[in-house]
Amino acid sequence: MNQTLRHLRDFLVSLKLTVVLLALSLVLIFAATLDQVNLGVWAVQAKYFRSLFVFWRAGSVMIPVFPGGYLIGGLLFFNLIAAHVYRFKFSWRKSGIWLTHAGLILLLAGEFFSGLLQQEYQMGLSPGETKNYAESYRKNELAIIDTTDPKFDDVVAIPEPRLEHKNEIQNPKLPFRVVPRLYYPNAVLSLRSGAPSDLPQLATKGVGPQLVVTPVAVTYKQDERNWPAAFVELIGPDGSLGTWLVSAQLAASQTFECAGHSFRLGLRWTRAYEPFSLTLLKVQHDVYPGTDIPKNFSSRVRIGTPDHRGDREVLIYMNNPLRYSGLTFYQYQMNSENDTSVLQVVHNPSWLLPYISCALIVLGLLIQFGIHLTGFARKRRAAVPVVVVKP
Amino acid sequence: MHFRFVPLLLAVLLASAGCRDAKVTSYRVPKEKPDPLPPILTGDAPMSGAGGADMASTAVPTASGNDLTWDAPATWKAQPLSAMRKGSFTVTGSDGAAADLSITAFPGDVGGLLANVNRWRGQVQLPPIGDSELATATTQLESRGLTFVVVDVANSPSPKTDRILGAIVPFEGATWFFKLKGPDALVEQQKSAFMTFLQTVKPAAPERATR
Repeated sequence: MNQTLRHLRDFLVSLKLTVVLLALSLVLIFAATLDQVNLGVWAVQAKYFRSLFVFWRAGSVMIPVFPGGYLIGGLLFFNLIAAHVYRFKFSWRKSGIWLTHAGLILLLAGEFFSGLLQQEYQMGLSPGETKNYAESYRKNELAIIDTTDPKFDDVVAIPEPRLEHKNEIQNPKLPFRVVPRLYYPNAVLSLRSGAPSDLPQLATKGVGPQLVVTPVAVTYKQDERNWPAAFVELIGPDGSLGTWLVSAQLAASQTFECAGHSFRLGLRWTRAYEPFSLTLLKVQHDVYPGTDIPKNFSSRVRIGTPDHRGDREVLIYMNNPLRYSGLTFYQYQMNSENDTSVLQVVHNPSWLLPYISCALIVLGLLIQFGIHLTGFARKRRAAVPVVVVKP
Repeated sequence: MHFRFVPLLLAVLLASAGCRDAKVTSYRVPKEKPDPLPPILTGDAPMSGAGGADMASTAVPTASGNDLTWDAPATWKAQPLSAMRKGSFTVTGSDGAAADLSITAFPGDVGGLLANVNRWRGQVQLPPIGDSELATATTQLESRGLTFVVVDVANSPSPKTDRILGAIVPFEGATWFFKLKGPDALVEQQKSAFMTFLQTVKPAAPERATR
């Protein structure tokens, strides 16, 4: 075997590598747990676990300081597989260990696929309201909507990071270029008349000139969300069309005309459209008698499909989600005052993997301990003679 | 142990770590109702805050938990409440000048103390301050279990310049704002009444004594 390949094999099958990786993962989990106080659970997951490296910001430079969850988990994954292929020989006596490790490998793969593929959205509905889209509660997008067609809206959705990095956007569906000028990850809007400010106010069109934008600290609290704002200039073939203030608080409410087309634009929560719709028929908010303590939330919804063949009514309540079209709809929040219901919408093609892997691990351990137990019992029976004492 | 591959592996992974980029998408959907303009264009409330039940809504979420109560001086004229205001008074001086006292509450910390102090400073044309100056720019008032951060900001000593005398108090996960805004001379004249008023602020009695 080639010398280099042999070294690579020895590296991957090394049990020392396993120990080093487990130690690194301990440190990573410890650091992430401490940092959760500052960043909250979502940001910690992204920074420490769903990344190849943990970066520290030194001014404008990002320095990798520690291996992230994907790197440690990925190496552990290949280490486990390589060690099994190279080192372990299959025998029935070790079948439990094999099963347990297979479960562990599947668990690592499941988390990897969840991190890559899982998407979480929310769908807020009032009674009678129908929606065919869910909205992210952490990500935003700049939506530029061509509303010229009386039946359809043509949407160009620009993700928030493109605004943050001030990437100029040229899209074949837009008769202008979009040039982000200024971006705030979290900002407060006030009326200009009541709050003059020295901060740069670039807007020349839309409602922007009436408003003052004041950046505020980014929040990482789980029950709060950031309200990003940006100034974007639209530049057509004949020059600038103006600069608009867009903010998650303004949604897509501002309109303008260009090249004979009517447009709406605004920053909104990133939307995921589905080929079916949900209509909220009824909400139920039960509390324990004599208290305000919630007992059960439930939403009766109707699934509407384009050909109406799959239309049906479903009751979604706590711990009884609706699984439909690869999505899971959980009862998430309920506002009893105005009867609005919020469903959490999760898309995770690998949702079964953790269950299968846990079952494999349990089965493997049962088999392994069972083999040992029967062997031990057999040995004990053979070693100790039975003495019957008569009275 | 053969760790000679580690630098190569790290270099490859590091290079690929920065490759993920969000894509611009375009699609066609059935006609939708345009989003309405939010109430900020008719009100004066801050717009930051925690997401309410309807995350897509552009309405400003106001705090909906337990309330605070207060005893206002008899000379302050109560005004009708709006969607944003928990309390509203007009304070009139002997020379006919008027100041506006608003009481608002929003969920969460509404961007934090510094952002709100700077928001008020911006409203009287003062530059924002940093974290280090916050302690000297504000005073604290403890009363009835509440801790008020009192802010007194005016741009210049001219008697007709707008001045804001305000207090920010966190209460049960929400932030309450008591803001007296008016001509410098009138606010100065009402300062002791405002501070006494703050000391009357207390949590409202719960609707149900026991559960």
